[in-house]
Amino acid sequence: MKVFLLTLASCALVLVVLNAGYYKEWFDGKPRQYWFEFLKEKDDPGDEVAIKKSRYGVVYTISMRVKEVVEKKKMPHAIILFEPNSYYRDSLRIYNNIRAPEPAVFYYYTGLEGVWTNSPDVRKANFIVRITKNKGVTLDEIKSPQQLQQILDGFKKYPPIL
Amino acid sequence: MPMFIFLFLLVCYWLSGFGILTLFRIRLKPAYMVTLSLLLGVAVASFVPFGLQLLYITITGPTVFGALVLVALLLNIPSFLRMRHSGLAVFTRPFGGGRFRVRPYEVPYWLVMGFLIFVSVWRCYYLPPTSRDALSGPETIAEYTVREQTMINSFFGLDLWSTNNQFKSPFLISLQVIYKLAGFPFGQVWLSVVFISFTIFLYHVLRERLHPVLAGLLLLLFMMAPEIYAYTFMILYDYSNMVFFCLGLYFLYQGLVGGVGAGPGLGTAAGAGSGGGPAMVSFGGLLLGIATYIRSETLVLVVLFLPVIFWSQWKTVGGGGAGGEGRGASAGAGAPVPVGAPAPVSEGARVPVGAVLKKMALMGLFFLLPSLVGYYLPVQRYINHYLPVHYDIGTLVNNNLSDWHPLLQRYGDIVSKLLFGTFAIHLWGYLFYIASALFVAELVFVRRFSREACFWLYAIVVVYLALGFMGFALPMFNLTETTKRAVFKIVPLLLFYMANNELVLRLSRWIAGWEVKGSKKMAMGTVIGGEKAVAPKVAPASGKRGAAKAGGKAGTGGSGGVGKAGAGGSGGAGSRKKNRKK
Repeated sequence: MKVFLLTLASCALVLVVLNAGYYKEWFDGKPRQYWFEFLKEKDDPGDEVAIKKSRYGVVYTISMRVKEVVEKKKMPHAIILFEPNSYYRDSLRIYNNIRAPEPAVFYYYTGLEGVWTNSPDVRKANFIVRITKNKGVTLDEIKSPQQLQQILDGFKKYPPIL
Repeated sequence: MPMFIFLFLLVCYWLSGFGILTLFRIRLKPAYMVTLSLLLGVAVASFVPFGLQLLYITITGPTVFGALVLVALLLNIPSFLRMRHSGLAVFTRPFGGGRFRVRPYEVPYWLVMGFLIFVSVWRCYYLPPTSRDALSGPETIAEYTVREQTMINSFFGLDLWSTNNQFKSPFLISLQVIYKLAGFPFGQVWLSVVFISFTIFLYHVLRERLHPVLAGLLLLLFMMAPEIYAYTFMILYDYSNMVFFCLGLYFLYQGLVGGVGAGPGLGTAAGAGSGGGPAMVSFGGLLLGIATYIRSETLVLVVLFLPVIFWSQWKTVGGGGAGGEGRGASAGAGAPVPVGAPAPVSEGARVPVGAVLKKMALMGLFFLLPSLVGYYLPVQRYINHYLPVHYDIGTLVNNNLSDWHPLLQRYGDIVSKLLFGTFAIHLWGYLFYIASALFVAELVFVRRFSREACFWLYAIVVVYLALGFMGFALPMFNLTETTKRAVFKIVPLLLFYMANNELVLRLSRWIAGWEVKGSKKMAMGTVIGGEKAVAPKVAPASGKRGAAKAGGKAGTGGSGGVGKAGAGGSGGAGSRKKNRKK
């Protein structure tokens, strides 16, 4: 009988914790949600790329698109210049939805080398990823050092940020 | 195939960890032996690809898995030698004998915790690493290590202006490499081994102090700390660092109180026949060394525990009085003096100051040495002599250390933003509030703290003060990211404190007494962890949990209490006095 009462007490304490203040909000929003995700994921596991796409979101998709284009153009030494994220934040105001990946993360996604506008290796850049509201994402070739300088000058007031 | 390799890795971990425990002559309850072996095994594995890199050996499947097996075998040489006399019992005996009984009132907790564990393990397995700190450093390095067979790979040729994560410990890189080689594309599942092992370990520790209803509640509160839970499936350094730091302090304390006799928890159920004082302190030092290897700034915290060792040594050897109490108690109960423990000092015996100082220095050295190695290898040796890019930490130090205003500001911010307030609740749930309320209640109503409670309070304060200072000295040690994650280290310490809070202990005793019908003795004051109170069939004195029974009969305090003298951990001095009066 006492064991039964203690078991009831344990159940009550568990329920109290699960329903107390922020714990309830967290439990419903996180572990419970994760459980529902698990139910979907176990039925349709998807391949590695699909999982990465859904987990890493639009930045990963852009990166992989860049990779595809570079592979099509057969440019073995492509070095990709990214526009500064502060440009997306202050000028295009799309920073909440989209941002350029860090070179290290871009390398993880694609195996391609990327640079930011303040990188010591920026002079080696031969492609630039441009994101615009109208055209979406484009990968343009940088054809000359002069063109690169012009691009860099255009971004002078936008320091790279994460 | 990956599952087969996963099991193979578990066996390697278990063997390596068991080998280390054997080297330190530590014998614990099976639940501790298994969980500690696995945790130590993960730590050993995290050195393997790193060690291969230090030796310029290419990192491939055969070299890594071969090295893991080799290390596991080497660490077990003493056990193999003993096999000539004892046969396979050398390996099986430490894991036998203990019986873990699940009582119905533990089930509700385990259902919820099992659910949390399951979800965490699935996410660890199924989802790729996502944290920016992992992707911009260790995870990418690990990925290219597998492809290029060296940890010093093409990643270091990139523009790394935006990150310093390439300089962080090889702990994560090594483990990711092992699991990627094992066929897990996202690695990560090692974190579940750490998570589950630590959770089980923690539950057993709490259960030794408290009735399972309270132990389960505390552990549930810990697991439901949102930020910590998130890091059980998001690979970074902080969760593992917390685990080894907490374990290190736990064994440090057990070593300081004498390991066999006076220690709560370990003294009986866990510490059966364990290595005792100095060996246990060194083992604690080893665990802290692993924590330092994982996060180098832990070294600062480890150094701050040296005074505790010196003080304890002075009291034990130099004082010839207070510290000797615990040992005397052990002897009184007929408990064996552990191998490696110092000869008992009779009360009032004078020991030359030089001998005391030498002993203090040696113990301090053995305690600190693993942390120094854990700092030197990845930070000084690897970064400065192996990596093609260098990291000058000197340039990161605050150059205006004479202005203490930011230091005070940081201490205030830690309390107001990270420990209390809305943001803190979102990070840790209500743990800090509950622990603080219990602390105040103990201060007001009990007006004294047991020795163990004092130790954990000291540990909490030390971590808090050190984190504030590091944030002041290293501006990049920011509040909402680095310091926040470093606060992980405090959270299990809160649990240990709460498990030693006199009011919680009284409640635990009351529940245990009420449950065990007619056990007036227990209800009146025997300090009994839930396990013993509910299941009086404990342990044989040879270090297999029998000492507790003797202690219980004598009406002594402390779950680890042994012997007529009533030296027992949990009740502390107060309980002992009460018991003597009785």
